[in-house]
Formats: sequence, structure tokens, C-alpha cells
Amino acid sequence: MELIKVVIYLSIYIGLIATSFYALSFFSNRRKDKLLYEDSELPFVSIMIPAFNEGKSIARTFDSILKVDYPKNKFEIVFVDDGSSDNTLEIARKYAGKNVKIFHKKNGGKATAMNFALTKVRGEIVVSMDADTFVDSQALKKMVRHFKNPEVMCVSPGITIYQPKSFLQRIQYMEYLMGLFLRKAFASLNAIHITPGAFSAYRKEFFDKYGGYEVGNLTEDLEVALRIQYNHYIIENVPSAPVYTIAPTRFYDLLKQRRRWYVGLMKNTWKYRKIFGPKYGDLGMFVFPIAWISIFFSVFVTVYLFFKTMFNVVDEVLFLKSINFDFPNLLNFNLYILERWAFLFFTNPIVIFIGIFVLVIGAYLIYAAKNLGPIKGWQFSLPLFFMFFALLFGFWWTLSIIYVIFNRDVKWR
Amino acid sequence: MVNRSIQSGRRYVLAFIIGTVLFFGGFLIVNSLSYLEYQRISNLQDQLAYKIFEDKLGYSLFGQEICSDDAYRKISEDLGFQGRIIDDLERKFGKEDARVLERKKFYSLILLEHFEFVNLINQECGKNIHTILFFYSNDLKYLTHSEDLGRMLGTVYGRNDNLVIYSFDVDLDSEVIKDLKDKYFIQEPLEILIDGDIKLRGVKSIDEIEQHL
Repeated sequence: MELIKVVIYLSIYIGLIATSFYALSFFSNRRKDKLLYEDSELPFVSIMIPAFNEGKSIARTFDSILKVDYPKNKFEIVFVDDGSSDNTLEIARKYAGKNVKIFHKKNGGKATAMNFALTKVRGEIVVSMDADTFVDSQALKKMVRHFKNPEVMCVSPGITIYQPKSFLQRIQYMEYLMGLFLRKAFASLNAIHITPGAFSAYRKEFFDKYGGYEVGNLTEDLEVALRIQYNHYIIENVPSAPVYTIAPTRFYDLLKQRRRWYVGLMKNTWKYRKIFGPKYGDLGMFVFPIAWISIFFSVFVTVYLFFKTMFNVVDEVLFLKSINFDFPNLLNFNLYILERWAFLFFTNPIVIFIGIFVLVIGAYLIYAAKNLGPIKGWQFSLPLFFMFFALLFGFWWTLSIIYVIFNRDVKWR
Repeated sequence: MVNRSIQSGRRYVLAFIIGTVLFFGGFLIVNSLSYLEYQRISNLQDQLAYKIFEDKLGYSLFGQEICSDDAYRKISEDLGFQGRIIDDLERKFGKEDARVLERKKFYSLILLEHFEFVNLINQECGKNIHTILFFYSNDLKYLTHSEDLGRMLGTVYGRNDNLVIYSFDVDLDSEVIKDLKDKYFIQEPLEILIDGDIKLRGVKSIDEIEQHL
């Protein structure tokens, strides 16, 4: 058997086992009682919003967070303008008030702005919020309730894309929605290792004890998530707490974002490599290794398919030349061509497995719809996801690995 | 700090079993579909063999008409298709699968019966139906070139009305194929024989074939 087939079948086999395991974990822990704050017990929360040139979205971000259903006497916003050169600070100042503190500092990056905010907050719970993020009015309360368990150091929401319109946004929309189920399954195993920087809640005590955000880290939110796991605390997830983020629309912007995320993931994984192994339970023994094995397989297959397609195109051109580009007769040569194609298609094991994974993805989407409400435009977005996501994912990862191998500089922006 | 032991070893075992059942279940479905196709093709082959046999006997014993325009066409239409599906089945079930190999040998006999029948029509009816014998191989070394040449011949077939193409697997363990190779001095795969006497090797374009038709 060819090596590529071995790799593809192995990845399918591991994928089926992993999917079964996550589904079993999800259902096993679904009905477990959790320690939750009652309304009267809710702690003081500080929302930290760092911003750099976010003049286009900052007003909407303020409007959404000011509308959240949370006791007003237990809630503050700490806004830090990180040396914006546009009108971000000017707009933010219009919201200054009893519960909204506005600060300005010299530009130093998101981590410096977050650390600055940490010195200004009063809350027992702090929430990092991106300046291009909007929240559902119930999201904050649903998330903060989970901090009643003293072992919980972070709670992540059900993050999704705000009004996906473009081709790339629709693909990302599907990716985010599918992540909702997986994140919940990981939470049931205490194995969440990535939290959205757009909106995540933390116990302030964790930063006091283990330090603030790591300046210079490409994915400082991911670093904090891994640090929480590394120190044996819990990261919870509330998929029914919708948070909306604006996704990149242009190919290059998305590429830059993913390159930063993936290079950051590689560097932070190396930093916390001790998480691999039995000391970290299901996270170290299964979730983390499987995540990396999946990445390895997807990169291998993408690189292989890329070169194979290139060679096939060359072969096909040579063949067409040999028949003097006689397309009509090439297509007519076999009246049974469709029948043979159907036979080869339906007797390809990979087609059967793709069918199984399509059903699994359908189940993930139903779960997302149950938590976030109807999925608008899924009829257009889902086919786009199937056609392009694997290719894009492999491409982003391949490029990120090249950047790490050749030690190329990756910038936050 | 929380206890980080594995939540449930039983869950891993269960996931392994479910994943394994799904994985091998996928292959089972594929094999079942392939087997159904194998049975269907076997039936078609039997019908085709019967039809050729019937027509030849009809001519030799009862002097029936074989010169009508579409006499040979009726029995030629799905010859190529059957051959390709048998090749596909061979690749799916494996080169050693006895059922498919037997079908392939039988298919080669049908082709030769048809080849003889076409020669008879040419002689008896004064027609000029061209024949091409194509010797291919499913060996990995020759597979791509065999497929390309097969597609090229398909294009030639589409462009020429009076033409029948017969494809033979040179690696098939069959006395008839061996005799055929000996008769026409076929040394290696990818050789084609036009009208029983023009042998071409390493064909690069349809022009090289069509100049002999």
C-alpha cells in the first residue's frame, strides 16, 4: 500500500476513535452537577478592553458590554488605549463614567495593555475582551456563575463569527460553530488548552499568583490557558454564552492571523511540553497528543496533495496534447463513463468515511444551533467549509511550520 | 489544584471499539458494494458471451445474416466498459483475488471471440472494420502509461466509426493471452496492434495511430 494511503487511513482511524471518545466524554459528563453562583452571590467583575486603532468597532463593543445583564454595582469596565493613532480614545472617552474607566498608554502590544489593566481592576473576576467583540446580554452572568468552584481559573464562552458575509468569513463561521461541541467535550475532560482572546473570564487571583500576560508572546491568551492547565486548575466552558467576533475577510489578513496563532501554539506547546504524559490525565494522554497528531497528518496530506496535483496537471496537459486537445471525443469515448465514475466513487472507502464525518459535523452544528440559536446561511457556508477548509488549514499550518523552522519573525499585527 | 488522573479507562476501551467497528464497517460496506458490482458484471459477461456464441452459430449453421450495419455494434457497445470495471474490481479486491481473475480470463476469451467475429464480418461482408489489440499492464510501473494510452485509444475510438478496440492484460496468467502474445510477438506492455499486422510501441499521439486507419 502506498505511504499516503497508510497515512490517510491511519488519520481516519484515529479520527474515528477520537470522535467516539469525545462524544462519550460529552455524554458522560453532561448531567454532572456543577457548583454555580446564585444571582445574589455573583462576584465583582472587571471587563478589560485593550484597544489599538479600533475606531470602527469600539462604540459597538461598548454598547454591547454596557447592556449585559449583570448587577451594576458589581461590574466595571477598564479600557486601555494602547497608543492608537486613530479616534479610538476619543470615542472611548464618550463612555467614561462611574463604571467605565478610560486609560491611555504608549503603544506596547496587547499583553502590556492587559497587564496595565490588571493593575487598575477591582474585580475578583477579570474578563479580557477584544475591542472588536460583542456579547450577548446573558453571556457574562452565565460564565461568571462557574467561578463558584474555587478550582476554576478560567471560563470561556461560545464564541462565533459576527454576521459572516464573505467567502472566508463563512468558512471560519463553520469552523467556530464546530469548535463549540469540541470545546465542551474538552471541558468535560478538563482539557481545554485554547481560550478565545476575544472574550474569556479569569480569576484575578491566578494572575496575582502566577504573573500577568507574557509580553512578547504571540498568543498571550493561549499561553495563559496552558499555564492554567500546567498548574492543574480548571478551565470551564459555557457554549450557551454567545460572544461574537469579527472575522478577517481578506485572505492575507486571515493568513497573518492564523500564522500568528499557529506559530504561537507551537512555541507555547514547546514551553509547556511537560503537559504531554500521564501527569496531566486525559489532556496529557489523549487530547493534546491527538491534536498534534491531527495537525501532523493534515500537513502531510496537504503537502502531498499539492505536489501530486501539480504533477497530475502536467501529466494531463501532456495527455491532452497527445490527443490534439480533442475534448469532445475524449468525453464521448465511453458511454458508461458516469456509471464507472459512480462505481469508483461509492466503492472508495474514503468516501464512506467522509460520509461518517459529515454526519458528525452535522451533529456538531445541531449542538451549536441549540446553544446559539439558528445558524443563518449554513446552506452556503457548509459546502464552502467542506471544499476549502482542509486545504486552508493544511496551508496555514505548513506555512507556520516553515516560519518556525527557518526562525522567521512573526508579528502580532 | 485538581486531580489529573484519567477520568475513565473504560471510556477509552469503548471509544477504541466504536472507532474500530466504524473503520472496518466502512471497508465492509465498500467490499459489499464492489461484490454487488462484480455479480452484475458477471451477469453482463454471460449475456454477452451467449450473444456472440448465438450469432456465430446462427451464421455458420443456419446461414443467418451478419452483414447488417449494426450487427457487430450491438455486441461491441459495452465491451470496453466491462473490461475497465473488471480492472477496477481487480484493484479493489487485490491482484490475487481468484473470482476477479477468473472473470478477467473469461473476458479475454469473449474479446477474442468478438475479434474473430469482426474478422469474419470483414471477410464475408467486404467491410473494413479496423481492429486494435491493446496490451496493457496494471503493474505500478506501467499503470499510468497504460491508463493514458487507454484514454488515448478511447479518443481514437470516438473519432473513428469503423473501429473496435480490444484490451488485454499482459500479466494475466492465461494460456490464451500467452498464445496471443506469441502469435503477434508482443514483448512488453503498452504495445498496440492495428488490423492484426501493424505493431506500434511507445505511442505518443493519436496521429501515430490514426495514420494507419
